Amino acid sequence: MTVPELIDARELRTALTGTLESGARFVGAWATADGGWRVALATVQGTRVLVCTPAGGRVDSIVQTVGAAVWDEREAHDLYGLEFDGHEPLRTLVDHSAALEAWTTPVRGGGVHQVAVGPIHAGVIESGHFRFHCVGDRILALDPRLFYKHRGLERAAEGRGYGQALPYAARACAACSVANTVAYAQAVEDAVGLWPPAELRRQRTLLLELERAYNHLNDIGAVCAGVGFAPGSMAFAVLKDRAQELCRQAFGHRFLFGAVAVGHGPATLDAAQADALRAQLRELRADAAAAWRDLEFSASLQARLDGVGVLSHDRALQFGAVGPAARASGVVRDVRTDSPRLAYMGFVPASLPQAGGDVAARFQIRAAELEATWELLDGLLSEPLTRSAATWQEPGGGVGVGRVESPRGETVCMVELAAGRVARLHLRSASYANWPALADATAGNLLPDFPLINKSFELCYACVDR
Amino acid sequence: MFVLLRQLRTIRREASLRPGDEPRWLAIRHVDAGSCNGCEHELALLGGPLHDIQRFGLDIVASPRHADILLVTGPVTTRMAQPLQIAYEAMPTPRLVAALGDCALGCNVLADRDQLAGPLSELLPVDIRIPGCPPSPESIAAGLLDGLRAITQHPAHSSRVSTTRDRRPPQSGTVWPGHGNHQPKEH
Ligand code: SF4
Repeated sequence: MTVPELIDARELRTALTGTLESGARFVGAWATADGGWRVALATVQGTRVLVCTPAGGRVDSIVQTVGAAVWDEREAHDLYGLEFDGHEPLRTLVDHSAALEAWTTPVRGGGVHQVAVGPIHAGVIESGHFRFHCVGDRILALDPRLFYKHRGLERAAEGRGYGQALPYAARACAACSVANTVAYAQAVEDAVGLWPPAELRRQRTLLLELERAYNHLNDIGAVCAGVGFAPGSMAFAVLKDRAQELCRQAFGHRFLFGAVAVGHGPATLDAAQADALRAQLRELRADAAAAWRDLEFSASLQARLDGVGVLSHDRALQFGAVGPAARASGVVRDVRTDSPRLAYMGFVPASLPQAGGDVAARFQIRAAELEATWELLDGLLSEPLTRSAATWQEPGGGVGVGRVESPRGETVCMVELAAGRVARLHLRSASYANWPALADATAGNLLPDFPLINKSFELCYACVDR
Repeated sequence: MFVLLRQLRTIRREASLRPGDEPRWLAIRHVDAGSCNGCEHELALLGGPLHDIQRFGLDIVASPRHADILLVTGPVTTRMAQPLQIAYEAMPTPRLVAALGDCALGCNVLADRDQLAGPLSELLPVDIRIPGCPPSPESIAAGLLDGLRAITQHPAHSSRVSTTRDRRPPQSGTVWPGHGNHQPKEH
């Protein structure tokens, strides 16, 4: 259970340093409408939330110790007006009214020019703006400007009952909707004091792994598309489509909308349905493995992936990168190893013999993880799925944190409840964590390689923008 | 490579959409005006071997300059309203607007009202409506084809669409980057 710890805002940096030294990890920070500031940390004993109210709206920045908190502070500044001492320069993030200089990296020198791309892109792609600082075709720095799709989902969810607020987490992003809603459900259950029994844990794990399966198939195809290797992108588009059709057949929706609820699990499968799904997944697995082997033997494809868009191990740690992108850089961290509210007993995260942090590594790690996902799904479907409900534990503290390994990495949902209603909902998706790392991995590469580097991370814009 | 191609051949045989009824060639420009990315995922599959929208004379193109149809997803956020308008004005006429998904249709939108400039129908004249959250790739294909069929067969709409290549370039004065001078047409 998450226990909010009230601290003096002036003590935040000291309290944080102490906790980090004892092995804790920053997982997110969020401001509240009444001038509050929260910092969440994952520790071996569970999640800790440091709660403070900075006097006069000013608080010490934590970015010197926690590089991963840069975007969190910029967002809190733009949306909630907090000022962060020591965060220099504090560039705007969500606020689009600022001048170009207020949000871009200052780059000077002979031959330096900017290339602006977006918000509308050339294909069927989400909206967002990229500003490249280049010399010739060589990228020196990239400033992504997202939040074109900002729908104010968090604010819109406030004041609603916690069941009613769930669709706001779901619609933040279709491709991560299971991860987002499971994280949300976990956060609420943590806040009120509910615990999921084995059947509910199994059900949610099954849904999460189905979501991972179709996403990883999609993301492998995306790398092929980034290279322009049509046989690969076409084959994996079909495999992804088939995986989503299985989701629809089993649970009524191609993105599994409506399959996750707070406090219970509405999804069911009788023995015949579970067997059928299991058999179809085995077929899909075999076809995906054959298609992957073909990609491995496509020399022209493979030659395009090595050494492109390197995210070094150190930089991955510094930026707090998560998920397949972090694991491809040798940061073997996966929330599934630490998910008592889900059915991942004994889970071992995928790793690569040579985690070079390049496009090739991010490509390979997805195939390795897909194998683990098929294996998990096969085990999870050995029995029918029945309705189940969470059970009451000791009452929660009104603040809850849910952490889930989405297809793109650790997604964290924070919820604050007041009188049974959502007072604050904050979603920090894996994509949010990884965008700064992606921008960093782009530096030094050629501009025409950006689409490929971008596809190898395959981050969402929707669940960042919210 | 052989496995990939063999799979594609099998799949191509299984494709299910009914054959096109008239020759046409229309280019589609997609604009994401604040979707949850679900509509994009389904739309992206339209060009794949299973649905293969190109065989009906529809294709997704990279520039509004080449486009006959503006296909919009999402409820239209305040931040996407202007880029959307610029894309629309950069299109040659005659042009069509298609709303893809419930958000673009203004149904069941989940958002903070202050962050929205939409619904789309108040910003641009919507000709084709494809409901769903998200509509499946089949429904998107069927929605586009049925919509086009209705427009080309309906006399009142005959001036709004051309299925051949007699398009006019955008008129000067309304071309990119001009914006804010658009009057929503009654429709
Ligand atoms: S209609 Fe549904 S799937 Fe499409 S953008 Fe809106 S919420 Fe997402």
